[in-house]
Amino acid sequence: MHAYLARRVLALIPTLFFASVIVFVIVRLVPGNVIDMMLAQNDVGADKLTREKLIETLGFDRPMWEQYFRWAGRILMHGDLGNSLWQNTPVTELLAARMPVTFQLGFLALVVALLVALPIGVYSAIRQDTAGDYITRSFSLLMLSVPSFWMGTMVMVFPSIWWGWSPEVRFVAFRDNPIQNLKQMILPAIILGTALSAISMRMTRTMMLEVMRQDYIRTGWAKGLSERIIVIRHALRNALIPVVTLIGLQAPILIGGSVIVEQIFVIPGMGLLLLDAINQRDYPVITGVFLVVGVSVMVINLLVDLSYGLLDPKVRYR
Amino acid sequence: MAITADVPAARQSGGFLRFVVRLFREKPLGAVGAVIFILFLFCGLFADVLAPYGLNQINPRNRLKPPSWAFPFGTDNLGRDVLSRCLYGAQLSVIIGFTAAMLATFVSVVIGIVSGYVGGKVDLITQRFVDAWMSFPDLIVLLVVVSVVGAGMPQIIVTLGMLLGIAGSRIIRSAVVTTRENMYVHAAQSIGAGTPRILFRHILPNVLPPIIVLFTTRVGSVILAESGLSFLGFGVPPPAPTWGAMLSGSGRTFMFQGPWLALAPGLCLTVVVYAINVFGDALRDLLDPRMRGSR
Amino acid sequence: MLRSRKASLFASAGFATALLAGQALAQGEAPRPGGTLEVGTVYVTLSALSWDLADWNWKQNHDTGQFYEQLFAADLTKSKRLGGKHPFYADAWLPSDAIRGELAESWQWMENPLRLEVKLRKGVMFPEKPGVMAARELIADDVVFSQSRLDKSPKRIAGYFDHLSKVEAIDKHTVLFTFKEFNAEWDYRFGWGYYSGVMPKEVADVGAGNWKNLNGTGPFMLQDYVQGNSNTYAKNPGYWGRDTIGGQEVKLPLVDKVVFRTIKDEATYLTQLRTGKLDILETIRWSAVEELKRNAPDLKWSRWLSMSGQFIALRVDTKPFDDIRVRRALNYAVNKQEIVKDYYGGNAELFAYPQHPDYLGYFEPLESMPDSIKELFTYNPEKAKKLLAEAGVPKGFTFKVQVCSCQPDHTDLLPLIAAYFEDVGVKIEIQPMEYGAFLSAMTSKTNAPGYLMNNGHTNPTTTIRKSFVKGQVWNPSQWSDPAYDNKMAAVYLERDEGKRQAMLKEMTREILDKAPYVWLPTPYIFTAWWPWVKNYGGELRAGAVRPGPIYARIWIDQELKKKMGH
Repeated sequence: MHAYLARRVLALIPTLFFASVIVFVIVRLVPGNVIDMMLAQNDVGADKLTREKLIETLGFDRPMWEQYFRWAGRILMHGDLGNSLWQNTPVTELLAARMPVTFQLGFLALVVALLVALPIGVYSAIRQDTAGDYITRSFSLLMLSVPSFWMGTMVMVFPSIWWGWSPEVRFVAFRDNPIQNLKQMILPAIILGTALSAISMRMTRTMMLEVMRQDYIRTGWAKGLSERIIVIRHALRNALIPVVTLIGLQAPILIGGSVIVEQIFVIPGMGLLLLDAINQRDYPVITGVFLVVGVSVMVINLLVDLSYGLLDPKVRYR
Repeated sequence: MAITADVPAARQSGGFLRFVVRLFREKPLGAVGAVIFILFLFCGLFADVLAPYGLNQINPRNRLKPPSWAFPFGTDNLGRDVLSRCLYGAQLSVIIGFTAAMLATFVSVVIGIVSGYVGGKVDLITQRFVDAWMSFPDLIVLLVVVSVVGAGMPQIIVTLGMLLGIAGSRIIRSAVVTTRENMYVHAAQSIGAGTPRILFRHILPNVLPPIIVLFTTRVGSVILAESGLSFLGFGVPPPAPTWGAMLSGSGRTFMFQGPWLALAPGLCLTVVVYAINVFGDALRDLLDPRMRGSR
Repeated sequence: MLRSRKASLFASAGFATALLAGQALAQGEAPRPGGTLEVGTVYVTLSALSWDLADWNWKQNHDTGQFYEQLFAADLTKSKRLGGKHPFYADAWLPSDAIRGELAESWQWMENPLRLEVKLRKGVMFPEKPGVMAARELIADDVVFSQSRLDKSPKRIAGYFDHLSKVEAIDKHTVLFTFKEFNAEWDYRFGWGYYSGVMPKEVADVGAGNWKNLNGTGPFMLQDYVQGNSNTYAKNPGYWGRDTIGGQEVKLPLVDKVVFRTIKDEATYLTQLRTGKLDILETIRWSAVEELKRNAPDLKWSRWLSMSGQFIALRVDTKPFDDIRVRRALNYAVNKQEIVKDYYGGNAELFAYPQHPDYLGYFEPLESMPDSIKELFTYNPEKAKKLLAEAGVPKGFTFKVQVCSCQPDHTDLLPLIAAYFEDVGVKIEIQPMEYGAFLSAMTSKTNAPGYLMNNGHTNPTTTIRKSFVKGQVWNPSQWSDPAYDNKMAAVYLERDEGKRQAMLKEMTREILDKAPYVWLPTPYIFTAWWPWVKNYGGELRAGAVRPGPIYARIWIDQELKKKMGH
């Protein structure tokens, strides 16, 4: 177990190295560089002098590899991801403001996804191929099939026309005012969560179908145990595995894939930060978001893998 | 880590026709999905013949006309026929969805088979690479790639294909690992059959069901992903009539003056993705009940 | 203007009268202080790009202009709403007859050498800011410090302050600007422009880029900033400003709080207005107006002509656009009236860009221009074909047009224009580009022969200089004409505004006639606010993209708001 953990953590190092190089270089190859964009901020013609000064100020006059090692060095030595080119704010500060928001949204969405997926998954498994199975499953799949930007737009627009009500989009941090914060977060979490529920619903259903065919369940039936007891005591326990797997699988979606709902519901999360950074060619911010999202997902996946051992004694770490 | 399936990955089902009959009998919902899916394929393939107008036939005087006999789905803000654009949209979706799904499947199969069959160090390294790759949210990778290489159909196809392909390789790999341990593979190895022969004769047929299912659901994922990109302004550039672009662009802008502008592409998109999903689920149930955790 | 960068405008006569009538009623009402003003400004989609003036970023003036004051600001009593002649829509222009001293109490010119002596208002206080500074009076040194800090910034635009030789504090309340030479934009450059904010040294010492440190003398104080969501400004209780509103002298500001909301998605910000969660929304596309009027009939409206001229720039340094006949032919080929009528549903105007109807004294309507210019705005495909034939391209040609995918209006408009071009045998290859790449193409002068964009006017002088003087960043046609550049230089040196106006009118005619662009109609943009927003008539800027002084004078009728169910 410890050896396994050590190996997994060690394996992160080369992956992170390659990921960071690629990210660092790629964003700087994006057509349209930040210098050009900064020069376009003013109505006064910028001559060569200004351009060179700006390049020097931002440190782009150094060779790419040197820039990379300076950047990577600062991360390793001081945990410093550099400063935003536009705002001069440390990237770590920007991320510190955005990460809790994104994690909160992701967590809420996950809860919603499971609240939808588990009952439907279980129900459609024990009533396989009945009308109930079709209807509940269809609902979940339908949610997956509607683009989230459209769902978001509908939820935003129509209540305002019918009832003069609109979702709250003025952001308040959870620690400042939990209720106000949840008022804004809950709808996007439902939209994200229901869309994701189909995946976990499928997983739960398959798992249940499988479990229900196992000998001990059959024994249970034979012993005349009620359906409820069988489902709850034996079968649902097994559903924990898909739940955990789901967290691993959906971590990347939840952490970085919520850009669209973030945009519609004006949630200042990492997705929007990245989108803005891409639009402004704010390289340190792009690389910072990338790195932090990547590492978070890797860590979550590691935790998920480790937790299998706790849930299912059959699993052995090699 | 490994949750490895411990039974053969697939049951051989004989005969295509018999399979279709089974689909209709056992999975009526999936069958409906299949019919819609085929209909959509047909629309896409024959869009040029079916569409009453050109995909970019502009006529400002006819702008925002509600559905009528001349324009069954109405016209958009440039006076283009929405029906025709939806049909051409199906064509684009077919092109994007199928090529990207094909690429994805190919990538999944190559990585999955190599990693799963060769095993050992190769497997370990490949899996770490896959882990790293999957740590980056699809949309983030897409945004960055599209802003690097510029928006365009080939770029989106290749990126989506790679993204989904690498992610899907996990499923193929676990199917391969299971198959590899089977008696007949060992037997084949012991009588000295070459690797290619084992791969093509024994492994591939056994991992075919998950490949088919993966491919089907991928088509839906790709169509959906493209619509998300369109919303963020990184999709296939106009005037290409992708459903995502029609829905997120003029569909949203003219939501009130011309609800049909959103309704038509929105329905196409949702119905097709939905159909693909139920069809895929039915396939999964019939071909490979043990597949799980596949996105 | 790209995205919502810089825009500006002009109310039609009908609208203006309607506003006047409405305001006359409100005139008698005595303002009641309090309440929160929630605004979606013209830049509702853009969060603050920077808080530090020395970053030389245009938008900081929008966000900091609430608390950093400047030497001058708009004299809002000259607004159309109050019977004056100015709508105060322009993004970065104050008419010379509508400028008042903000921090400046008086100013006078002195000759040999040319100097401007500015007497500062006395008793203007910086409020206390814990951890940054104690409350203290603003003095001349602060003005000198702010200007020299900008001038020394590594991000500074070379040449911006070159007309000045010295800026010094003569005494506690007097600043002396010594000029190397006169500059027609002297007041825009350091008086009320983008880079004119006066900040205390204490803020710079602890970091002027960190919003938590900022502190100025203005009517509001920055209380909270959530990037990508909102800027919250609280009332500065010690603000010096007073105004007469409804016949009563009041202490400014009137509201307790102003919140600038940042909302990227159009459907979302329209919804927030519809349900009264935004009190004012300054930028509404014409396509959304009809629905809002139906579903929120109580909203009050003003309409302004975008301050961003719209056109396809033709690179005159490439063939065949080096031939004026080809450029003129493309102008004839497009049915601009039809675009106004059918594409914009009538919500657009054709006018003599690069000037703007709002620039009173500088603007000349198309009707009074020579025929050769009027022709460029008249659909005439036959003449277009004839000219193309004369220019040696009778069968037409193909050229590439770049367009920003960030502007749905443009990506829709371009295929329409392509259809007109095709009628005269000219084909275009549309290249949509993502925002950053699109902007960079122009800045690095690598843009395609055709470039569909809109470009902010700024002010009547800059609009010509930045677009048609050689080497300028915002010169997508790569216009380069030494004689024209000389005329521009002469405008800058001319001290008499009347003469400058005549010179600029002449230069406008010249450039219109030479058709470096395919001139296109400019759309109207709408502003809407709820009736409980008082002492407001849709004014947008009291400086360069700076609405601060406008919001300081607004009061919220909280009873009415409650009565209306919000």
